[in-house]
Amino acid sequence: MAEYLQQYLPQSLAYLTAALVHAVLILVVVALGTLIFIWLERKVSGRIQDRLGPTRVGGKFGWLQTLADGLKLITKEDLRPASADSMLFLIAPYVSLCASYVAYIALPFADGWVAIHLNVAVFFIVAVLGLEVFGVMLAGYASGSKWSLFGAMREAAQVVSYEVPLGICVVVPVLIAGTMDLVAIGQMQAGWFFNWFLFHDPFTFIVFWVYFTCATASVNRAPFDLAEAESELVAGFHTEYSGVRWSIFFMAEYSSMVVVSALAAILFFGGWNGPLPITHWLGLADSANPLAHYVANLLGLINFLGKAIAGVTFMMWVRWTLPRLRIDQVMATCLKYCTPIAAFGFAGAVIWTFLFPGGLVIPNKDWVVQEEYQLDEPQAQSAASTSAASTSPLAHADSGLHAEEHHGTD
Amino acid sequence: MEPINWHSVFFLLFALVGCGFSVAVLLTSNVVRMAFYLVLALAATSGLFFLAGADFVGAMQIMIYVGGTLVLLIFGVMLTARGPFISMRTPAGEWILGAIIGGSLLVVLLSAATSVRAWRPVAVAEGEARPTATRLGMALLGARVDKLEEPDPTQREGMSGYLLPFEIVSVHLLVVLVGSAYLARPKKRAVGSTAETV
Amino acid sequence: MATQTDDPRIIEFDVRTDEMLVNMGPQHPSTHGVLRLVLRTDGEIVSEATPHIGYLHRCAEKIGENLTPRQWIPYTDRMDYLAGMNMNLGWSLAVEKLMNLELPEKARHLRVLIAEMNRIASHLVGMGAYGLDLGTFSPFLYAFREREKILDLFEEVCGARLTYSYITVGGATADLPPGWLQKCEAFLDQLRPVIDEYHALLTTNAIFVRRTAGIGVLSAEKAIDYGCTGPVLRGSGVDYDLRRDGEQRYTEMYDGYAFEVIVERDGHYPKDHDYPPVPKTAVLGDCWHRFYVRMLEVMQAMDLVRQAIDRYSMCSGDWGTPVKLTEKLPKGDAYMETECPRGQMGFYIVSNGGSIPLRARARSSSFCNLSVTYDLCRGCLIADVPAIVGSLDIVMGEIDR
Repeated sequence: MAEYLQQYLPQSLAYLTAALVHAVLILVVVALGTLIFIWLERKVSGRIQDRLGPTRVGGKFGWLQTLADGLKLITKEDLRPASADSMLFLIAPYVSLCASYVAYIALPFADGWVAIHLNVAVFFIVAVLGLEVFGVMLAGYASGSKWSLFGAMREAAQVVSYEVPLGICVVVPVLIAGTMDLVAIGQMQAGWFFNWFLFHDPFTFIVFWVYFTCATASVNRAPFDLAEAESELVAGFHTEYSGVRWSIFFMAEYSSMVVVSALAAILFFGGWNGPLPITHWLGLADSANPLAHYVANLLGLINFLGKAIAGVTFMMWVRWTLPRLRIDQVMATCLKYCTPIAAFGFAGAVIWTFLFPGGLVIPNKDWVVQEEYQLDEPQAQSAASTSAASTSPLAHADSGLHAEEHHGTD
Repeated sequence: MEPINWHSVFFLLFALVGCGFSVAVLLTSNVVRMAFYLVLALAATSGLFFLAGADFVGAMQIMIYVGGTLVLLIFGVMLTARGPFISMRTPAGEWILGAIIGGSLLVVLLSAATSVRAWRPVAVAEGEARPTATRLGMALLGARVDKLEEPDPTQREGMSGYLLPFEIVSVHLLVVLVGSAYLARPKKRAVGSTAETV
Repeated sequence: MATQTDDPRIIEFDVRTDEMLVNMGPQHPSTHGVLRLVLRTDGEIVSEATPHIGYLHRCAEKIGENLTPRQWIPYTDRMDYLAGMNMNLGWSLAVEKLMNLELPEKARHLRVLIAEMNRIASHLVGMGAYGLDLGTFSPFLYAFREREKILDLFEEVCGARLTYSYITVGGATADLPPGWLQKCEAFLDQLRPVIDEYHALLTTNAIFVRRTAGIGVLSAEKAIDYGCTGPVLRGSGVDYDLRRDGEQRYTEMYDGYAFEVIVERDGHYPKDHDYPPVPKTAVLGDCWHRFYVRMLEVMQAMDLVRQAIDRYSMCSGDWGTPVKLTEKLPKGDAYMETECPRGQMGFYIVSNGGSIPLRARARSSSFCNLSVTYDLCRGCLIADVPAIVGSLDIVMGEIDR
C-alpha cells in the first residue's frame, strides 16, 4: 500500500500512513471481533443451556448487547485496591491486550492480505501469544490479593508448560510445508479440501486435536480456565479489576482465542482456501486481473473467518459442557498426554513425509517439486506483485516493514 | 522537505526504550517491576532485530528471553516472597562490583566498535531483504546453502554446518530438563492422602 | 490451628515455600451461602481447612419459644430452604408426637408424595450446584429447569415456591388441587430421560470422575463418629435410612411402600443395572459416591412418588385437617427425627401445657456433615475444597438456623 500511496503523498508520509492504516485495521478487527464473539458466546451458551441469551438490545437477537455492556463497564468506577502495586496494576491489562494484538500483525487474512509478511510468522505468533501470560502474571501479582496471586501462579505454570506441546504441534505443518511463512503455508493448501494439512497424513490429523487442546489451554479457556476458576479462586487474576480494565482482559482473551483458531485454520484447514477450488473454477485466483484477484481474496477472507469462527465456537461448546480440570490434572494432561502424542505425531509426520512426499490422497505437484531453498523468494515476490496491484487496504503483503528498511538504507 | 528516515527513527526509538528500561531495571528495588522493565528492554531489543531484517532472531528473542524472564519472575515471587511486595536493596559493595564488571564490558565493546576501520556496507542488495529463516534452519541441520553465494573460495571452505553444536545444545537442554525434574521431586510422598504430587 | 508438620499426609517439597492463610468465603462463589473456610495453603496444597459458621444465624429456635407450633412452621421452611416441605414435616411430626395425634390414611400418602417430590427438587439443586463447584455451568441450569417444574407443582398446591408452610400440624393446609396428580405423573415421565442426561454430563463424564473419584474419602467409621447422616453417610457405605430405621411414627408413613435404601452392598448399588457403573477409580466414601447416592435417591424418590400417587388416589376421606392455631399442647416433651434430603433432621419440643412451647430445638444434618471438612480437606488441593464441600451438599440456613 505504501507504493500506492506514494503516488499521492511524499514518501516518508506514505509509509507512515500505510503503517497506521494497517495498525488501525487490526485494532478494528480486535475490538469488533471481541464485541461479536462475546455476543456469540452469550448466544451459544444460552442455547446450550435452554435459554435465549440476549434478545433485546439492538433489535433482533440482542446483537448490541456487548456494546451496551461495554458502555456500562466504561461508566463503572475504576477501582484500585489500596494494597495493589498501582503502576503494574494499571498497566497489566494493556500488556495482555498488546500481546494478542501484536499477534495479528503476522496473521494473513487472505492470500497476501497481511499487515507484515513475516518469513517466520508461525514462530512469531507463537512467541508473542506466550507473552499474554505476562499481563496475567502482573495483574495477579500487583492486585495484592491472595486469590489473584493463586490465579497468576496457575496461569504461569499452565501456559509455560503448554507452550511445549503447542510448539511441537505447530512445527508439524511447518515441517510439511518447509516454511514458517503463513502465506506460503496457506497457498500450499489450495485446491480441494484433501490438500489441507489436516488430511495430509494420519499424524497431522492427530496433531490437530492435540494442537487444539493445547491452544485452548494456552488461551486459558475452560476446561483449562484455572487462572480464573470462579468456584475456587473467586475470579482468579482479575478478582480486583473492574470497569474498563476488566473488559480489556476480556478483549485480550477473546482476541487470542481468535488468533489460535485462525492459526489452526491456516496450519490445518487450508486457511483462506475453501473446501472446493471454486475460485479456480471461476478463474478468479489465477487471473491476471487485479479486480478478479481481489474478489477471490474476498471469498478467501470469508472462508478464513468462517473457519476461525468455527474454531472459536467449538471452544465455546467445550467450555459450556465440561467441568474444569484440577491443576495437577492439567499438568498431567500436558506432560503425560499432549507432549508425547505431539512428539509421536511429529515423528510420524517426518517419516510419512519422507515416504510419501505428496500427501495422503493426491499429491499437490505444484509445490512438492520446489526446491526448499528457493521456496521463499518466488512466493514472496508473487504475493508482493499481486497485492501491489490490488487496491485493498490490507493488501500489501510484505512491503510495510521491508520497504521501510530499504528506504532507511538509502 | 527532507524525507524522514523512518528506519533511523525507529532505531532510535527502540534503542532509547531498550537503554531506558535497562537503567530502570537497575534503579528499581521491586523484583516484579524489575522483571517488567527487563521484558520491555528485551522486547525493544527484539524490535531492533526486526528492524535489521532478522525476523528469526527477533522472534527467538521474544520467545526465549522474554519467556525466560517470565520464569525468573515466577521464581522471584515464589522463592523470595516474605511480604506482600518484594523489595531488593542492593548493597553498595555489589553496586561497585557490578559497575566494575559492566564498565569493563562497555570499554571492551566500545573499543571493539571504534577499532573497526571501515564498516562493511549492507550486504543485501537494494530493494531485496531476503528472509533468513530457511538458511538458518538448513545450517543448523548441517547444510550451508549460503555457501553457494559466497564468491571467495577460501571463505567458502570455512563454512561448515552447525549440526554438531546443535545436537550438543539439544542434549544439554535435555539433561537440564531431566535434572530439574529430579531436583524438583518431593522428598516425602503423600501417604494415605488424597493429594497427588504436583 | 497450628499445622502438624509430622502429619504424614502433608507433602514436603525440596523447595520450601511459605504458607499462606486465605479466607474462602463468606463471600465466595462456591461456599453455598455464607460459609467461611479458612485455608492454610502451601502453594496449591491445603494443609488445613477450618470452617467458620454463624453468618446466617437468625435465632429461629428462640423465636420458636414465642410462637405456637403452627406459627413456627414458616420458620422451619427457612432452615433448609431447599427442602421446606421436609422441614415442615419434621416439625409437624414432632408436635403430633407430643399431642399424640393420629392422622387419616390419606394425609399419610399426601405427606409421602409431597416430601419425596421435595427430595427430588432438593437433590436436583445439590446436583446442579455440584457441577458448578467443579466448573461446569450447564448442568446447573438443566437441574433448575426440572426443579422449576416441581416448584410450579408446589405453587399449585400451596401458593408458594420456596417457603411452603404446606404440611402442618394435623395434616396439610389444603388438599391437592384437582388434576394435580396427572400433572405430577406427566412430570415424572419426562424427568426419567433427563436423569440420563445428567448421568452423561456429570456422573460418567471423564473429567467429573477424575475430579471426584478418590477425593475426600470419608470412611464409614469416621462418618459415624462425626454423626454424618443422609447421602453423606450412605455414600460411605453405611446402611442407615430413617425412613426404614427411624421411629415408628415416621416409618409407618412409609408402610407398604416398596423401596430399598440406596447404599453400596458388595460393590453394587440396588438396581444398578439401570444406572451407569461405578468407575474403577472411585473409592467408597469419596465425593463421587456421595454424588451418586444423591442421583440414585432421585430415582428412588420418583418411584416413591408414583406409589404415593396410586395410594393417595385410592384413598377416600379426609386429607388431614390442621389443628387450631392456638391449640393447647400437653405437658411434656417429644423428639422426632426424619430423613430429610440432607440427612437426619431432628426436632425437639418441650411444653409446659400452654399453646406456646417452652423450647423448640432443631438438630440439623448439614451441621454434622459440615464438621468433616476439617478432616477431609487435609492435604488436598485448593480445587478439591469446593469439590469436597459441595459433595456434602450443605445448606447454611439449616446449619445456622
